Amino acid sequence: MKVSMNLLKKYAAIPVTPEEYQSRMIMTGTGVEGIDDLGEKLQNVVVGRVLTCEAHPNSDHLHVCTVDVGQAEPLQIVCGAPNVAAGQLVAVAMIGAVLPGGVIKKGKLRGVESCGMLCSGPEMGVPVELYPSVGDEGILVFREDHPLGTDVREIFGLNDHVIDFEILANRPDTLCVWGVARETAAAMNTELTLPQITVREADGDIADFARVEVRDSDLCPRYAARVIKNVRIGESPAWLRQALHAAGMRYINNIVDITNFVMLENGHPMHAFDLDKVRCRHIIVRRAEPGENLRTLDGKDHALRGGELMICDEQGPTGLAGIMGGEESEITENTREVLFEAAAFDRTSIRLTARALGFRTEASGHFERGVSPATVLDGLNRACQLVNELDAGDVVPGVIALYPDPVCQQPLTASVARINRRAGVEVSGEEMVRILRKLCFDATVDGDTLTATAPSFRQDVEGEADLCEEVLRYAGYDLIPSTELKGAANGKRSAHMLQNDRLRELLTGLGYYETMTFSFLAKKKLEQLLLRPDDDRLNALPLRNPLGEDSAFMRTTLLCGVLTTAATNQAHGNSDVRIYEVGKVFDNAHRTAENLPTERGSLCLCAFGGGEDFYSVRGAVELMCKAVGAEYEIVPAEEPYYHPGRQAALVFKGQRVALVGEIHPEVAESYELSGRVYAAEIDVDALFAAAEPMGHVKPIARFPAVARDLALVMQDDQPVGPVMTAMKKAAGKLLEDISLFDVFRGPQVGLGRKSVAFSLSFRAEDHTLTDEEIVRLMNKVLKTCREEFGAEIRS
Amino acid sequence: MGIREELQRLDEELDMEMARAETLANIEALRVRMLGKKGQLTALLRSMGALSAEERPKMGQLINERRERFTQLLDERQQKLQQLEQEMRLKREQIDVTEPRALPRLGNLHPNTLVLNQVVDCLTGLGFEVVEGPEVELDLFNFELMNLPKDHPARDAQDTFYIDDNVVLRTHTSPVQARIMTTRKPPIRIISPGRVYRADEVDATHSPVFHQIEGLVIDEGVSMADLKGTLDAFAKRLYGEDIQVRFRPSFFPFTEPSAEVDLTCVNCRGKGCRVCKNTGWIEVLGCGMVNPKVLDMCGIDSKKYSGFAFGVGLERITMLRYGIQDMRLMYEGDLRFLKQFR
Repeated sequence: MKVSMNLLKKYAAIPVTPEEYQSRMIMTGTGVEGIDDLGEKLQNVVVGRVLTCEAHPNSDHLHVCTVDVGQAEPLQIVCGAPNVAAGQLVAVAMIGAVLPGGVIKKGKLRGVESCGMLCSGPEMGVPVELYPSVGDEGILVFREDHPLGTDVREIFGLNDHVIDFEILANRPDTLCVWGVARETAAAMNTELTLPQITVREADGDIADFARVEVRDSDLCPRYAARVIKNVRIGESPAWLRQALHAAGMRYINNIVDITNFVMLENGHPMHAFDLDKVRCRHIIVRRAEPGENLRTLDGKDHALRGGELMICDEQGPTGLAGIMGGEESEITENTREVLFEAAAFDRTSIRLTARALGFRTEASGHFERGVSPATVLDGLNRACQLVNELDAGDVVPGVIALYPDPVCQQPLTASVARINRRAGVEVSGEEMVRILRKLCFDATVDGDTLTATAPSFRQDVEGEADLCEEVLRYAGYDLIPSTELKGAANGKRSAHMLQNDRLRELLTGLGYYETMTFSFLAKKKLEQLLLRPDDDRLNALPLRNPLGEDSAFMRTTLLCGVLTTAATNQAHGNSDVRIYEVGKVFDNAHRTAENLPTERGSLCLCAFGGGEDFYSVRGAVELMCKAVGAEYEIVPAEEPYYHPGRQAALVFKGQRVALVGEIHPEVAESYELSGRVYAAEIDVDALFAAAEPMGHVKPIARFPAVARDLALVMQDDQPVGPVMTAMKKAAGKLLEDISLFDVFRGPQVGLGRKSVAFSLSFRAEDHTLTDEEIVRLMNKVLKTCREEFGAEIRS
Repeated sequence: MGIREELQRLDEELDMEMARAETLANIEALRVRMLGKKGQLTALLRSMGALSAEERPKMGQLINERRERFTQLLDERQQKLQQLEQEMRLKREQIDVTEPRALPRLGNLHPNTLVLNQVVDCLTGLGFEVVEGPEVELDLFNFELMNLPKDHPARDAQDTFYIDDNVVLRTHTSPVQARIMTTRKPPIRIISPGRVYRADEVDATHSPVFHQIEGLVIDEGVSMADLKGTLDAFAKRLYGEDIQVRFRPSFFPFTEPSAEVDLTCVNCRGKGCRVCKNTGWIEVLGCGMVNPKVLDMCGIDSKKYSGFAFGVGLERITMLRYGIQDMRLMYEGDLRFLKQFR
């Protein structure tokens, strides 16, 4: 909210620099985003009188003038404006003056010395709002008298600062000049000098002019109206236009300007109706019927859905309550009688309507934040007072005031000791009372009991905690000391966090970089995985109000994000890439007890280039399993997004812990990936469910191991994994280790067959194994291989 | 020839052979020739049987003296040659240690994780327990129990992603606090880090997905001074002992009183710079005393217990820590960015 500092100073003195003021306000809870010096670009320009004006000896359009700026000697200034003439009161930029276009220097124009410049409105950057005749051709000529040498900023209202206040959501009462004046007076410890509101009434009775009926008082707790007759539409005085300009508002005419100024001054949005255009002079406040229409002041047509709060007359809508008036009842030059409306509307209703219709106004902004019903009449009467002051019409006696359910502030009682304990400070009851009174509270203290009634414009004060904040704001947040928490507590990471930490640590060591992507998913990216129609991952949770198509669903897999990151890296020329993401996926098909989607911990890694192949990526996954003590079996898998012959699942007791594979070329292409790209997906929850916590260490074996090699010939398409699993099972506990050391295909072993060589190592804890024992075990292994897989020992 | 003459001859032979010996093998051969089982000195010893009983001890002593001397000479020479040979081998094996080679591959954590770990280490050290909760959350926990009733402007669709009327993507990690407060009894001392969602378009400083870390303490007699002390300790541990904490009045529906927390600018250490817009302070946290209405709604007696809460944006402090100018870099995953962290 932008406020003129000069206007603010009318109501509360600010005896410090703008910078100190800003800092003091911030530390008492009224945010100040910035302070603009309006006159910064217009310095050393003063009022002067043109004494003489002669034609320039060497030019047919320049004039040589002497100008009195209130100094001992008049200045000689060369001026090119055709309208310059002796006797005019003009704006003189002195040597060294600052104008928006630059600095004025002494110079010669066609041989004649010029000690300054006579300025036009645009040269000074003065908007027409501030001084109407700046729009005239040529140099600016003041129409009224000013002492010579007067700084022109005073005339234009540019000897001012504009303060941009940042108003907190709970303090709509400070969304106006009077509101920040109250805080200013409290912060500066100066007097608050708000005007007394008095209205000079003409003759007549409002009942003869207008009627108001509120049909939906749930959305309009208070409605008040007054009537102005003999309206004299005209231009507002300079001070009013300047105040509106500083706040970033346009000026229209005296009546409309008054309503805007009242909103600026005390926060009550008002509306002025041309009473002749209100049919039957009967205002009805009600919800819109579906299908009703309204053209607002800005010329836009709105089709109403029904339920929006409207200001209507007997034939239909004439204004959008709290947002904008209708074009039909707009104030014009011909307006004779005006109805001023001041009301309190339901903030939610205003917000929803403004949003549904897609526009916000200054007024709707106020209502959305909350306008106090208690002070509605202050706004209305202040507008009438300004009508008196500006002589813009005659105020008809009487007020239409509909306020069926008056709100009044209840006194709160609080404990001085509890307030101090909460804030961690020591402030006396008397000091609390002083602070609260400064903030317009009605407050007393009796021993430990503090009794306080908030002023009617404060709707945010509900209990002791709020009083505590008021006291603390002005006692000073800096007063709060730093103390250590009492009592011991056992700080720790969550189990889930520790699990992820462990996997991240391993992947760092394995050369993988952690990445993060959004938790959203584009349906298209999901479809690119070619999932079968019954795949749960296609059943992603949709957002009701996504930012766009690319983020319309919650991810059911990390793969889409990780592949996209991989593609980004490829596009950026990074050739050897190992990346992963760890995070939640949202399983919409399985719901929790609260009917929320099940959130699963998931990890997805991706690698390409740098000598990666299926086995290197599978190896990384296997190492993670081994590191956490998860037993697994490797079996072929059948995911549509992996190469059909190069994918495997790591399985523990029938539960799939991880998937690893080479991305299917079709999928890779749709993700704009080239070359062979490998990925793995790990169900972190399942992985740790399969993890075996470490027990005690085993003693180091004291007896020697016995090694045996075994070369088997088997069908070429026989996967080796199950063979090894069966061998381990057959060999039993004494088998310490088994590894594959060679696979050979060639005419020596026959077409369609392969030779696979294993190295087995046996050891017993309590004795040296005998040759007979080894032979027996090897025979068992061989028998299993022969019977289960048709494998024969290679001769 | 007598034994004495023989010994003299052996002395000469040894000296001559030693002078010629260039390798360890030469020395070893010489040792065998002189001192071996069939060596000359050994043979001489054997020949003593022919001597008289008086002569024998004298000659024996002489031969043994020779044996000791020969052994010593041979050992010395052997050692010297061994040393020489070692030196030559080492010289031969010299490599160019400045020649660049491919390094073993090492990955790294995301900058968010690096900073999160620092924050969590610091706060667990202060006795906070990490608690997590769902990201797709009930309106009840995300808003209502946080004193954000249905008509609060912060609930407008422009800020919140909705699934339906009762389910939202959590807009802060506060719902975790609500879940804890409704199920645990004080004392409570937790932090809840995690992803949160706001319907903001992506730009250099905004993201619809980001991370927060929120803390909550509830106990008897907890004050705003405890809050300041905790954040003071947090800031000093994270950024250094010279960092000051400043509270400014603010408003959050779930705390009363509320404060924005400024820290001494971590970039200029308070002198004033571009990062802090020359104020010497940077806004980092929001905090306050838990609103008694929130405690009561969650079933905690606000007459008996009080507490504080604070929240910090992880991306914000990560960007400050590493001078990251554009938040989009954090979600793009370009290795040229990620490889810079350590």
